[in-house]
Amino acid sequence: MDQEELKNLTADKTVDARGTACPGPLLAAKKAIGDLGSGEIMEVLSADEGTRRDVPKWAQKKGHEYLGTLEDSGYFRIFMKKG
Amino acid sequence: MENKKMSIGLFTGSIDKLTAAGVLISGAAADDMDIDIFVLLQGARAFLKGMGDKPEKLGMAENADLREEFLGSLKELNVMPWMEFFRVSKELANVKIYICSLAGKVWGGEKLEDFEDLVDDITGIGECITSMQESDIHLFI
Repeated sequence: MDQEELKNLTADKTVDARGTACPGPLLAAKKAIGDLGSGEIMEVLSADEGTRRDVPKWAQKKGHEYLGTLEDSGYFRIFMKKG
Repeated sequence: MENKKMSIGLFTGSIDKLTAAGVLISGAAADDMDIDIFVLLQGARAFLKGMGDKPEKLGMAENADLREEFLGSLKELNVMPWMEFFRVSKELANVKIYICSLAGKVWGGEKLEDFEDLVDDITGIGECITSMQESDIHLFI
C-alpha cells in the first residue's frame, strides 16, 4: 500500500508499544494478533529502530500480510493484515 | 508445519547475561519456537524461590563496575526485569524451564518448590542432551 492508502486505513486493533525498547513491540504484536480474526488489520506503534524491520519480517514469516509503514513524528506505524 | 526447536544450556547466574538470554528467548517465543531451557550450575541460584525480586543479589558477567549504569539504563528504557522475559515467553510459546538436579543441590534447592514457580521441573543431564539432539538451534549462555 502507498502512504496515502495507509493514512486512510482504519485498524481493527492498535498496539501502542512506543514506551518499550526491542523486543517489547514484537512481543506486544505477538500477544495482540491472537485477538484478531483473519483479514483484520493491526497497527503497531513503535519508536524503536530495530522494530521497524523486525515486525514486518515477523508478520510475513507468520503468514500475515505486511501492508506498510508510516513514519510519524518520532515513531513508526506498522500495518499488517492477519492471515 | 512443526515448530522449530531451540535448546539452551543456561549456565549464567549474572543479571546482564540473564537479561540477554531473556531477550533471545522471548524473540524465539514470538516466532513460535518450542524452547527447552536447562539451567546449569550458576544459573540455578538465580531461579531459587524469591530471587526474581532480588536483582541486587545477582552479579554482572562483564563490566561489574558499570552495574548501576547498566541497570539504570534498562529501567529508563522500560525494559522488563530479566525473569519477566522468561515469564512472557512461557505465555507466548511452548517454553520449558528445567533445573539441573546437581545445580539445584549446589544452592540448596532439592525440590521443585524450592524454585520460582516458572520452573517446570528438575531434570538430569540425559534429558538435556536428548533435547539438544532433537533441536534445530542450541545455545550455551
